[in-house]
Amino acid sequence: MAALSLTIMPLKGTAMRLLASLLGAALLAVAAPSASRAAETLRVGTECTYFPFNYRTDAGELAGYDVDVAREIGARIGADIAFVCQEWKGMIPALLAGKFDLIVASMSITTERQEKIDFSAPYRVSIGQFVAARDLNLTLFDADGALMPAALEGVRIGLERASTYESWLKAKAPGADVAYYDSNEAMYLDLKAGRVDAIMTNPMKAYLSFISKPDGAGFEVVGPQLEEEAYFGAGVGVGLRKGHDDLKARIDAALKAMTEDGALAEFGLRHFPFTIHPQAWKGAS
Amino acid sequence: MGALTGWLDEFAWGAFLILRVFLVAAAFTLVFGVVGAAARLSGGVWARLAGVYVTVFRGTPELLVLLLFYFGGAVTLTALARLADPGAGFVDIPPFWAGALAIALIAGAYATETFRGAFLGVAPGQIEAARALGLAPWAILLFVRLPQAWRIALPSLGNHLIGLMKDTALVSVIGLNEIMFTAKMATSVTGQPFTMFAAVAVIYLAFTTALSAALAAAERRARRHLAR
Repeated sequence: MAALSLTIMPLKGTAMRLLASLLGAALLAVAAPSASRAAETLRVGTECTYFPFNYRTDAGELAGYDVDVAREIGARIGADIAFVCQEWKGMIPALLAGKFDLIVASMSITTERQEKIDFSAPYRVSIGQFVAARDLNLTLFDADGALMPAALEGVRIGLERASTYESWLKAKAPGADVAYYDSNEAMYLDLKAGRVDAIMTNPMKAYLSFISKPDGAGFEVVGPQLEEEAYFGAGVGVGLRKGHDDLKARIDAALKAMTEDGALAEFGLRHFPFTIHPQAWKGAS
Repeated sequence: MGALTGWLDEFAWGAFLILRVFLVAAAFTLVFGVVGAAARLSGGVWARLAGVYVTVFRGTPELLVLLLFYFGGAVTLTALARLADPGAGFVDIPPFWAGALAIALIAGAYATETFRGAFLGVAPGQIEAARALGLAPWAILLFVRLPQAWRIALPSLGNHLIGLMKDTALVSVIGLNEIMFTAKMATSVTGQPFTMFAAVAVIYLAFTTALSAALAAAERRARRHLAR
């Protein structure tokens, strides 16, 4: 009997320790309030998989435009920034559940999202722009930045079917010669092949998947960045839970300063040959 | 393949993570399955409760349960903590435990039915024979019913465990850096999705192959007295 109980005891001890540590973990989870109430650490949710806006390098460092913007906001409002990698699907639920305090993840400001969360003023634009071969020397806009429909004479324009760019061009130049595409890739190929003279699209996308690649050598963005909100949307903002108007005001003040002193321009130029922030401060939404 | 080299350490950590999630979840799956099956077989209110458990967790998508557990759990715990202490801060559920428990609850619902079916599948003649031999009820359970039920349950339980292994690919939605997430991060920087997702497939295949071999060995052992 003694031998038996001896062999059982250590087993029992292990089981007890396991149970105790499980209980301990559960209690710890319940007892540990997060640091958010200490106010000066802001946890920022971002995807970590959206190059070049928020991504992780193979050295494990977070980088990208969103990351730069979030860190700079932290520096300017005097808060420490802690990033949390969160898959896109769960981004808004995670914010609402308090897993982090801000979303800085290239999230476009939409009325649908504004029903659930608040947004800062935009720190990145949603824009449209023409792309064409450099040696075509297209001039489509007058000195005030308005499209000259007459300049489109004899210029075949590639557009993604049913896109915001189509609505914009139809409104501004109803008579334009347009070819429609179902995918951006087919549109780039035809631009390269000369079947269309110019395309109108999102310049960031066009730069990342075409202009910066060998296939896109000799092509560039043409004319001004078109920021009209009615067509292209309000842009990308910092998301936060409703009811934090004070924090929102501090972030908007920081973004205003960053727009005006060139910090946003510098962050954009790290990844693109053009800036990607609103050219003029539009004020908080 | 050169693009992979910088990411090998990340993949290794991700693989270690899914292994840990799997081991913890598999242990809970067995517990939920055994307790659930015992409850369903017991009759009465416990059987009805276990029936609700099976219906709910077998009938909802894994992703939904995972999100409900993680986000809903944190909100609920915070609300409860504030009931006790209005000044309480945000109460979180560690994503590892939320993830492992959520997928274990689902696999456990399936395992409940597997164990119940296996227990009922032991030939009645076996039990009658045991009674005729004068075995006590506990001895019948321990030496006659359970070993045979285990043998009947194993192939189906193996399916659930392999499914559980693959469910670990879901946990990145609650912020755990498993290998699907690693692959997405690496793809975003290198622009080579095929290489990265092929690496994920190789890792999962390695794990599921090892698991299948272990299950086959367990089946051989459970049937060793039947070998010719």
